[in-house]
Amino acid sequence: MDQVVHAHWRHVYRWDLDKTYLDTRFETLSELVKIPFERAEDKVNVPGSATLLGELGRPQPDGSNSYIAIVSGSPRQMREVLEEKLRLDGVHWQEFHLKPQLRNLRQGRLRALREQVGYKLPLLLESRCRLDPDLAETLFGDDAEVDALVYSLYADLLSGRCGLKLADQVLAEVGATMEARRSCEQSLGHLEGQRKAGSDPVETIFIYLDRGSPPALFAPFGPKLVPVFNYYQAALVLFARGRIDAGSVLRITAAFLAADQCSPQELANLFQDIVRRGHLPYDLMEQLALAVHDQKEGLASAQVLWASAQRMLDLAELNSDARVSPSDSLDYLELLARLKTARGL
Amino acid sequence: MPAAEVPIRIALDCMGSDRGPQVVVEAAALLSQRREDLQLILVGDGRAVGPLLDAQSYEPRRLSLRHTAQWVTAGEAARQALQQKPAASVLVCSQMVAEGQADAVVTAGSTGALILAAERSLGRLPGVRRAALAAVVPTELRHGRGEDPFALLLDVGSTLQVTAQDLVSFAVMGSAYARIISDNPRPRVALLSNGSEPRKGPPEVVEAHALLGDLEGLEFLGNVEGLDIPRGTADVVVMGGFVGNVVLKMLEGFGEVISDLAQDQRSRHLLGRLGLDQLSSGARQIQSLLDWESYGGAPVLGFTHPVIKAHGRSGSRAIANACKVAAKVARSDMTQRIERAVRQQGSG
Repeated sequence: MDQVVHAHWRHVYRWDLDKTYLDTRFETLSELVKIPFERAEDKVNVPGSATLLGELGRPQPDGSNSYIAIVSGSPRQMREVLEEKLRLDGVHWQEFHLKPQLRNLRQGRLRALREQVGYKLPLLLESRCRLDPDLAETLFGDDAEVDALVYSLYADLLSGRCGLKLADQVLAEVGATMEARRSCEQSLGHLEGQRKAGSDPVETIFIYLDRGSPPALFAPFGPKLVPVFNYYQAALVLFARGRIDAGSVLRITAAFLAADQCSPQELANLFQDIVRRGHLPYDLMEQLALAVHDQKEGLASAQVLWASAQRMLDLAELNSDARVSPSDSLDYLELLARLKTARGL
Repeated sequence: MPAAEVPIRIALDCMGSDRGPQVVVEAAALLSQRREDLQLILVGDGRAVGPLLDAQSYEPRRLSLRHTAQWVTAGEAARQALQQKPAASVLVCSQMVAEGQADAVVTAGSTGALILAAERSLGRLPGVRRAALAAVVPTELRHGRGEDPFALLLDVGSTLQVTAQDLVSFAVMGSAYARIISDNPRPRVALLSNGSEPRKGPPEVVEAHALLGDLEGLEFLGNVEGLDIPRGTADVVVMGGFVGNVVLKMLEGFGEVISDLAQDQRSRHLLGRLGLDQLSSGARQIQSLLDWESYGGAPVLGFTHPVIKAHGRSGSRAIANACKVAAKVARSDMTQRIERAVRQQGSG
């Protein structure tokens, strides 16, 4: 396996496309049928996704860049239109994977048409083999499929919290192909050899609540996984973790306000919500206010900051509690069984 | 929601319901997803409310939490409880409205605590000596342009000892409320008594009868008896809080007994089941009429801002309906209209 060690990669961001980056909701059968035939300019973004991805891909003053990898469950036949859509949004990517649905169909792998674990996990691990072992990652998925499970398993495999045996059990359970299982084995062997003690490359897993799932559904995945109602919340978490600066937060805030997607009051509620759920420190408001003041470009979002400060005061006494407890080791087979029951996988 | 329409902010007391914060949180979560015109502020113990909320589907853009570690518990003396708990949830709700952080209060907690909290934080409208708790009850006759199947009763528990002047004030406020909520340009107002003759009833009712008869601009029917309430003879029926509370609870109990009996018959006898099934649409109609949860909360009239009291036993549906009533009252500038009506009638 070729290893690409690029000194200028600052961080890895992995994105799912459907329901995470693109709003592919449909209410009627005819709307569903239309999706594959939509032109790039007709594709609709999940609110804020393009702005956030744009900020994540922004080159840094030191010349470093983010490594953007996209793994989508859409068929490969849609590559042209999806790449065109990303170009229209100004997104630059390093990897773009689409599902070989036609091949699955030809080979009679009907289960593979819907199944995502056996498709995504080998791709993620293969991609990781090509990167510098010290690079940290942030992953974006949604609540419609099994992104939470795949990403968490990937994170645990990279850190060594679990190994090939469990990965193979999970892959066997979902009916993944031998090809996928062998690919995982090979990648994990490679990654095992280069793992440093205490290394835990996946920083954050964002799950966009496209289906409006209750956030508590994802509590078993632990504090690394952050369910978000929109990408304003994700931007705040990324700011708190030093992945984007205050300027980026302000531009994302402005984008939400300008598109009439949220009022200042609604953004303040979103701010309070993500703090209340324990994914952000209580002093984030102060950090953000100071950073904005330093940058002298906070006027447009002053109302949001003011309303958010009020909302933080409303939480006052809850302050000292830690609401997201560290995760114990996850029982992936149990989680998978639950998902299979819930989603008919 | 039109872009220009400002959302109504409802301070929702999470700690008052007999069934705990769960039902209130469920109601708020549901409304946050369905009503773009509302901003719901959950007031209560964040340690209890937060995890309950996280277990729901909700829209965080329209929902926020105001944490407080104090609340009035069932059975506590209202006055003493509020003295000892300056951050009691119901008081915080009222203060938020008074300070312009919310537009309306909704609680399923103690009526006494609500009235005292509203008195302390909001104050009464000029000319109103006592606040009145108004409730809607199902009736045979329909009311207003919307053909509402219910009449308004007040006071149903806010003021136990009333004067004739209080009854007149209740009549004026009730008339103004029915005019807006039932879209009824001239609501027929009556006094509850033990006979239709003007001289029937206790002294305050007799005196109120005389005062109301002289009032211009009010469609005063005179006295009605208890049996006229379910008939729906009047659109607004006025009484003291003690009698009103007894009447309301009796009507609710009566409705529940009818529903239970019908259910019992249905499950016990095949013939009864067949018979009832044949009448199922009628039975369903009766059941929906008697379903107090669908009527939402009772407004407490006379304060400077909308104050809505939901039943202590309210489930999430009733709480949600109470919030809808609060929004309608707030959106319609009800308190200003009541203030104008009280001033015009000179009933203060």
